[in-house]
Amino acid sequence: MRIYNRLIIYLALAFSVVNSVLAFAGQRDVQVYFILDLMAYLIITLLYVYLNPRARGALTAVNAVFFTGFGVIVVLKIINIIKP
Amino acid sequence: MSNPYRILGLVLCLAGAVLTPLFYFLVGSQPLTAVSISSIMLGFTSLAISNARPYISPEACQMLLATGTENIAALLEELGLRNRAVYLPSSMQNGFMRAIIPFVEGDIPFDSQHKLPRRLIVRYGKNSDSVAIAVTTPGNVCVKMLDTIPGPTASDIESALTYILTGMLDIADSVSMKEAGSNIEVEVRGVKMHESNAWFYQCIGSPVASIAAAITSEALGKPVQIKEEKSSKGDTRQRIVLEVKD
Repeated sequence: MRIYNRLIIYLALAFSVVNSVLAFAGQRDVQVYFILDLMAYLIITLLYVYLNPRARGALTAVNAVFFTGFGVIVVLKIINIIKP
Repeated sequence: MSNPYRILGLVLCLAGAVLTPLFYFLVGSQPLTAVSISSIMLGFTSLAISNARPYISPEACQMLLATGTENIAALLEELGLRNRAVYLPSSMQNGFMRAIIPFVEGDIPFDSQHKLPRRLIVRYGKNSDSVAIAVTTPGNVCVKMLDTIPGPTASDIESALTYILTGMLDIADSVSMKEAGSNIEVEVRGVKMHESNAWFYQCIGSPVASIAAAITSEALGKPVQIKEEKSSKGDTRQRIVLEVKD
């Protein structure tokens, strides 16, 4: 199996497990789902250090976009906490 | 548009973009919204991976490889050479990398002061019979793909080999390496590339062995010869013994 196919399959499995566990646990906040999916995503993509440099570069850009999404969620939460 | 990763990426991204607001605002289901967000993430990953696909088809690459192999094999057969190639580091050849196939079998000391000229027939030692033909091998080409030359330790060479065989070329699943005196044992698992031209590969080694020898030679800065090559488990596991020459 190609290394890229394996990456896609592991990510799909990780997302399925995270979403299923949270759904069965009764989680109602989409942000929690997103943050845990993002964590699984970052861990799995970081493990694939031997990818082709072009794919690695593109994945780093995608990581940056998702991490920005995470940053936005954190900023919104902080604003909610400090708002009088 | 025939790139399957790009098609998968676009489908997942579009499906996710349509379903996310639908599940969140209309259905009001958080788990389903999370699944569609995951679909977008998976889609972007697939789009990123599509960059790694070669611009030319595997068939075209196979054609170019076969052309080079057949030409060198014809040359070796014409000269009647069956000796195993010695992979030399770029420091011994004025910056370029090639392997030499000695005309005479046996241990002939290398003249480390003498840099090999960029010619087909070269003299590599002080003895009168230390003459060889110098050829570019798959391994020599792969060394150029490395960003930096690996260090001389087994773990550095193993990392470089894994990067080339698993990440760049995707022709093996994993690589392990250990030093045993002047020999280095390399075990490659999940090999997907198998040789066909017996004469050529007897001299140069299989593509995987050639890559292992060339990278080891460049990392150590010493000549390296493929001493032994064995395949097992239906040719998917390959054990290569490299001999480091002084």
